[in-house]
Order: sequence, then structure tokens, then C-alpha cells
Amino acid sequence: MVKLRARCLVVGDAAVGKSALCHTFYSDGTLFQKNYSMTTGVELIMKCVNIPESSDSVELYIIDSAGKETLVETCEKMWGQPSLLCLVFDLTSQQSFANCSCWMERMAAHCKGLQIQGVLVGNKSDLSARREVQESVAKEWAQSQGLEYHETSAKEMENCDAPFRRLAQAFHSLYQQRRDTIQNLGPA
Amino acid sequence: MFDSVGPHVVMAASSDENHPPENITDGNTKTFWISTGMFPQEFVLRFAEPTQISGVTVDSYNVKHLKIDKNTTQQASQFEPVAEKEFECTEGQLQSNYISLNGSSATQLRFIIASGYDHFVSVHRVSVKY
Ligand SMILES: Nc1nc2c(ncn2[C@@H]2O[C@H](COP(=O)(O)OP(=O)(O)OP(=O)(O)O)[C@@H](O)[C@H]2O)c(=O)[nH]1
Ligand SMILES: [Mg+2]
Repeated sequence: MVKLRARCLVVGDAAVGKSALCHTFYSDGTLFQKNYSMTTGVELIMKCVNIPESSDSVELYIIDSAGKETLVETCEKMWGQPSLLCLVFDLTSQQSFANCSCWMERMAAHCKGLQIQGVLVGNKSDLSARREVQESVAKEWAQSQGLEYHETSAKEMENCDAPFRRLAQAFHSLYQQRRDTIQNLGPA
Repeated sequence: MFDSVGPHVVMAASSDENHPPENITDGNTKTFWISTGMFPQEFVLRFAEPTQISGVTVDSYNVKHLKIDKNTTQQASQFEPVAEKEFECTEGQLQSNYISLNGSSATQLRFIIASGYDHFVSVHRVSVKY
């Protein structure tokens, strides 16, 4: 039995639905807040994810960070060193998608040279009539950044677990790889 | 002068039951304790009584920055810093670093791994030089 711990940073523009996504995941799809309540700092959410077909688990320390430009600098001080990244944009806002590369740059400065596995999440898939970002375009950009792409609707509680579960699994696979490497190391 | 049997590990933050912290003090570099995510990581070595220590050798993998605190009373909360060191990255083989503690007297040594060259780091052996 292995218990892993990962610091999962959730970033993206203001009002794209980061907090909604986190709360939906945390509450197993019982909690959606319709009225926008802006995050002004960082909110820590902890949830344990069991890895299928094993007795292992990953405790996710989810850092839900404010998207509003003027708050970002202060929030960054509380990011610490992330293990995983969840980058969120709003499918009905081309601008929020375009800003994703900024968020990648900001994040990179906190990684201290470590490679971070991550997902790109296009949220608000329920608002299909207002969609501004096509799935193929988002997918392609995600691939170019080494991110796995997911579409979710926090409002309809659709697919909100998937990005977090995939992140936990990716972290678990990485752990197994590294442990194998260490097992086969030569002496100093 | 090297003795890896003396102290034992009393606690460590991580948990993979196949790689318990006892592997740090079993004197064998084949067995190891591995961190299971996030920094910092720490473990504590306890001695049976206040002991003068010239230094420690740490065999590890992917550890970047290590700090050592000591404690001279039995109270767990009272630690003071004694040494710190930046390890070099040694891809494919173990790191082995000697850290001088200048004959400090201690009943417990706390090892804090502040950062690593990877998400997961391992400690294979800590040998104490008295
Ligand atoms: N239709 C729809 N609305 C959503 C969805 N997810 C979130 N919202 C709404 O979008 C607004 C913003 O959601 P938040 O979760 O607060 O956004 P945020 O990204 O945390 O914003 P900041 O905290 O300012 O960075 C709220 O009014 C939510 O109800 C969704 O999937 N579909
Ligand atoms: Mg928010």
C-alpha cells in the first residue's frame, strides 16, 4: 500500500469556473454555486483519490487560486512547489483560452526545474450555443504543452472528476517509474 | 568509526510500506526509504542518550537541499539548526555526501529535505561518525 501526496495547482482566468470545478469534485457532484463568488486568495481543498486496481491512493492538496489579474501576484506567493497542474479556461471565452499560455509561464517559474504533469480543462460545456473555442483547437494546443485535454461542466456535474482522477493516476505512474529506477541504481 | 546500527528512525513523513524509514538505518544501501510526494520531507534519528557526533554520511538519490536540526533534550519540539548542504545531481547512481556536525552533542537529529531534483527522492543510508 502506497499513500502519495501531490500539490495540485488550479489556475486560469477569473470566472472560468475553477472553484466550481473544485467544489463539484470535492463534494462528489452535490455542490454547485450558481452565483459567482470571486476567490480572493487561494483556497486549499484536500481529497484522497484511490488508484484503480491497487490499494494505493493519492492525496490531492488542491490549491484553487484566484484568477483576477490584480490578485495573482499575492496568490503566487502561496503556490509553493506544485506537483501537478490543472489549467482551466471557459469554453465560451476565447480570451480565457488565449491567456492559458500566460498561466503556463507563471506556473513554470514555480517548478524549480521539475517537470509537472498537467491537464487543460475547457469548462462550461453546457453552454454549447455560446461556445467560442473548438475542441480540436484546444486539444492541439494542450498536446503542444504536454497537457491532457478534458471538457467539463461544473454546472451539469459533468466529467468534473476526470481531470483530477487522471492527474492522480499520472502522479502514481510517475512514482512507480521513479521507484523502479531507484531500485536499479548503482552504488555511489 | 562508522556505525549505522546506533541510532534509529523514529518518524518519517512518507509512506510506502515496502520502503519503510527503517531502511535508512539498516546499514544497507540496497534498501531505501522513498518520499511519496511534496516537499519538504523529513525524518528523525534518535540516539539512546546525548551523543557527540562528528558528522554523518548520507547516501541518497535526487536530494537537492538538505538541512539538519538537532535536539539535546528529549522534548521533540526543541530543535536548532546545525548544518545544511546542497547536494549535486548524480543521474543513474547514488549520491553520497558527508556533512560535518563538528562534534555537536545531540539526542535527535532531524533531516529536512527541502527540495529535490525530482518529485520523489530516496535515502538509502545514514551513517554516523562519532
Ligand atoms: N453554465 C455554467 N456556469 C458555470 C460553470 N462553472 C462555473 N460556472 C459559473 O461561472 C461563475 C464563475 O465560477 P467560479 O467557479 O467562481 O470561477 P473561478 O474560476 O473560481 O473565478 P475566480 O475565483 O475569480 O478566479 C459562477 O457564476 C459559476 O456559477 C459551468 O460549468 N457552466
Ligand atoms: Mg474561484
